[in-house]
Amino acid sequence: MGTFSKAMTAQNGFSVIGKPFPKPDAVSKVTGRAVYADDMLPARTLHCRILRSPHPHARILSVDTSAARRMPGVQAVITGVDLPIKFGILPVTQDERALEHEKVRYVGDPIAAVAAIDEEIAAAACDAISVEYEVLEPVMSIDEALAETKDERIQDYGGPNNIHKLVALEFGDVDAGFERADHVREDVFFFQGNTHLPMEQHSAIATFVDGRVTLWSSTQVVHYVHRALAKVLELPMNRIRVIGAAHGGGFGGKTDPFAHEIIVCKLAMLTGRPVKCTLTREEVFYAHRGRHPVLMWVRTGVTKDGHITAMHFKTALDGGAYGSYGVASTFYTGALQTVTYDIPAYRFEGCRVFTNKPPCGPKRGHGTPQPRFALELHLEKIADDIGIDSVDLKQRNFVKPMTRTVNWLRITSCGLDECTERVLTASGYRTRQKRRGRGMGFAISSYMSGAGTAIYWNDMPHSEVQIKVDRGGVTAYCGAMDIGQGSDSVLAAIVAEELGLQPRDIRLVTADTDTTPIDLGSYSSRVTFMAGNAALQAARKMRDMLVEAVAAKTGSPGDTVTVAAGRIGDLSFEEASILAEARFGTLTSAGSYTPPKIAGPYKGSGVGPSPAYSYSACVVDLDADPRTGIVKVNKVWIAHDVGRAINPLLVEGQVEGSVYMGLGEALMEEQAFRKGLHKWPSMLEYKSPTFMDMPEVETFIVETVDPEGPYGAKEAGQGPLLPVIPAVSSAVFDALGVWIDEVPVTPEKIVEALRRKEKGEAPRFGPVRFPSIPYPTCIKVEPPPRTLEVGSASAASI
Amino acid sequence: MEFLQPSTWTEALQMKSAHPEAMPIAGGTDVMVEINLDRHRPASILDLTRVTELNQWGADGEFLRIGAGVTYTRIIGELGDRLPGLAMASRTVGSPQIRNRGTVGGNLGSASPAGDAHPPLLATDAVVELASVGGTRRLPVREFFTGPKRNAMKQDELIAAFLVSPAKGPQQFSKVGTRNAMVIAVCSFALTLDPVRKHIGTGIGSAAPTPVIADEAERFLEGVLDEGGLWEKPASVDASALARFGELVAAAAKPIDDVRGTAAYRRHALAVMARRSFGWAWDEYRTKASE
Repeated sequence: MGTFSKAMTAQNGFSVIGKPFPKPDAVSKVTGRAVYADDMLPARTLHCRILRSPHPHARILSVDTSAARRMPGVQAVITGVDLPIKFGILPVTQDERALEHEKVRYVGDPIAAVAAIDEEIAAAACDAISVEYEVLEPVMSIDEALAETKDERIQDYGGPNNIHKLVALEFGDVDAGFERADHVREDVFFFQGNTHLPMEQHSAIATFVDGRVTLWSSTQVVHYVHRALAKVLELPMNRIRVIGAAHGGGFGGKTDPFAHEIIVCKLAMLTGRPVKCTLTREEVFYAHRGRHPVLMWVRTGVTKDGHITAMHFKTALDGGAYGSYGVASTFYTGALQTVTYDIPAYRFEGCRVFTNKPPCGPKRGHGTPQPRFALELHLEKIADDIGIDSVDLKQRNFVKPMTRTVNWLRITSCGLDECTERVLTASGYRTRQKRRGRGMGFAISSYMSGAGTAIYWNDMPHSEVQIKVDRGGVTAYCGAMDIGQGSDSVLAAIVAEELGLQPRDIRLVTADTDTTPIDLGSYSSRVTFMAGNAALQAARKMRDMLVEAVAAKTGSPGDTVTVAAGRIGDLSFEEASILAEARFGTLTSAGSYTPPKIAGPYKGSGVGPSPAYSYSACVVDLDADPRTGIVKVNKVWIAHDVGRAINPLLVEGQVEGSVYMGLGEALMEEQAFRKGLHKWPSMLEYKSPTFMDMPEVETFIVETVDPEGPYGAKEAGQGPLLPVIPAVSSAVFDALGVWIDEVPVTPEKIVEALRRKEKGEAPRFGPVRFPSIPYPTCIKVEPPPRTLEVGSASAASI
Repeated sequence: MEFLQPSTWTEALQMKSAHPEAMPIAGGTDVMVEINLDRHRPASILDLTRVTELNQWGADGEFLRIGAGVTYTRIIGELGDRLPGLAMASRTVGSPQIRNRGTVGGNLGSASPAGDAHPPLLATDAVVELASVGGTRRLPVREFFTGPKRNAMKQDELIAAFLVSPAKGPQQFSKVGTRNAMVIAVCSFALTLDPVRKHIGTGIGSAAPTPVIADEAERFLEGVLDEGGLWEKPASVDASALARFGELVAAAAKPIDDVRGTAAYRRHALAVMARRSFGWAWDEYRTKASE
């Protein structure tokens, strides 16, 4: 399997950091002892089913629940009038209702909910609810959404027509950049939508006891669910407690507050009994919030020797029926192009439209895999045009560490060169044999280590950790939610390292809005960096107290007291903690992390800044059958600059998982619809790779030791997905000489591209035009000084 | 839902006669999916898993008679040498768990145009044995499929077994799917060379309302082999003849555009699979002949 870099296994001066410890929850999860929300069954639990719209677009004329209410075993039936207050993850798009009583906007939009003594009765009661609809013309594509509205707009904001959001930004003098270019090229690409496909379906269970609501949910962000519940239920936040149950996978799909979470709370309040709702697999496909389908147009100018002079990037996102994270997603389709390639002048125009499909939102890589796919292939085509090796052209334009991009993003550590060298060398890319039907593709990428700004505007820390030491026992409290990515491992490792203990010595209390301080949750690859820094700060304060107590007792200076191997100086950790508690009283410490204020001085600058960026490079080797178009991936080499691997085992797991997910998106996954209905709402028919499709993966962990990350660590959970997808399409070109400018790269598309090539047409498959979109006039932004002052990225919390 | 559980074949036939609406279930890999997705809610279920007669196979004259309850896993393990085409198709069914449960009899009962076992049964001129309290009848498999998920069974009949000749020559099966396991065929193709009868057998899956045979393609290729005396002196077959064979196989299909693929791609892929399958089978035949 993977190969750790030498630095990884060598003595690094740490006793825990950099060691491949197993996850603290691994045994309970693989032995079925972890308690997921659906496993919970308190006495007198009622089961909830939700009636959902069968129409993609319709006005609700009436809802009659009388027959359902009369059914034996039914305890409560609610409709939209019971939960009329709108919510949404972003403050600017509060456009969802837990139950809709006026209008439905996609097949699956919730209308009514039943709590009954068992699930079958609840389902039968849903069937007994009669709803009268006035069916409206559905809008099912980007083109239809841009066209004149037929019946009525899907949402009552945005516009013109069914446009949700328009963005236009220009950094530097783009026109002058194109004039200066020796060669200019335009391309159009399409990235089909796909969904997260977590193993665990969404599940939530609520109780209402003594006037307080408690919700256990399979969520990535207890804090945002907490806020939405308070708003819709009209309760103060201190009367609501949200607890993250054991988690069976999110990938961004459990980052919004969801209707079923609000519904079970409301039903618990009405009945006084616990109420549980677990979505069926089919409902999960309709709940969605996955990858946006994005149509992209890109124009780039280069000099003769391949240096980029200007880039103009246009995107059109098919957003589905609601806002979700869509405004952020739209900005993300234009934000990170500059973080890998030095682009001196850059124009970005983005557009998100509403369609009558399940809402799109964040999926691993949020809004950036689509433009990354386009950008990597586009640069290869430019290289071919001007007769430069495409890897050389990319390398010539790599950003440098300690610089600022034209759109004001601050780059500190950057391992692009090393990542590239690792995968090129290991794969033998440069010396590969050219043979029809066999090819290699290369691509790079970057991702954020946490968004630099919160979802809702506030000045508070993004993560806080408290540590309590009591008679030798260490407990760390943090709002971070372990969704399988290993955030618990990271917290335990950091606290253990600082206190001279082992990760198993650290008790964790996480993701509970009553008992843990705030963390903004497991999204945007922020936990290791942000919660990690907060934990580091709290642990160092605790260590200082322990050391001071021991020093005072033994009369030795504090800086001579060593903290290692379960001992503080000459005392055991337990003895030291008793001394410290006697000296200071209750032993608690706290740490917090607030990202540096690094957003640029323009509207929309909140999306893209991050305290650090990870970097990845990837080579894919595959066979592409020139007759059937069937692709078999033979091997993937991937190098990831994670800054420092807190736990290399988990980093490798994240990288391999990213490769797996990336290959699925590249080759087969499609969230596609016919007449408003999902084409494949099941795990059999929605194709993602199986064991039989997964190639060998060779992983290289590259450590650049970021100046602000905890011990220099950056993200690993999302970035490694990004280069895999363009590398697949690039390898198909290498094998067959045809460009598949559209994801997924299916056998049918390859066969069609080969047919066109044979007929002397353009040897490609993909979109041919980009629609006319009424983008506003660009906001012109003066670029920042491009180099960072040394010392400006010093670690605030270390 | 009524649950009927006979323990002998006679009892099973009596129950089916008394409850003609009863849905027979063996491995349940199709029936339970339909029930779980609420697509089909049969009034009663006839569980055949305790009928040991269905799990037997053995010789029946020049045929092998294989009980309807024999699983894919057993076909692969116990009959792979005698029925290589069917074994190859069985290996592409679902996952190990599904192959441990699923049966060829169940595949025939569901009569899906995409059933993986159907093309090799067509290519080997298999016969389906149907039984009721009134008696037993044998029907060539090519007359068994009557429409999408419809077959020639009468209401009171059950599938007892299928009969097939052990392979006399090379057999092939290929399948195009979106991934390499847990996949329903976009299209599939089976081919049999029978040097004794000088016969080419074909079967096409997932590219017409029912699994079908490419009659014209078979006769064309038999003609090519006869004309050149190639069965006796196996030399390579002319590329243009192979191309024509592929075209004729594609022409025998009546594919549609659906969620798994387009009609155009199915025709294209069938032509490729037909050419390649014959190429592989013919190479094997020539190698054996030269030994």
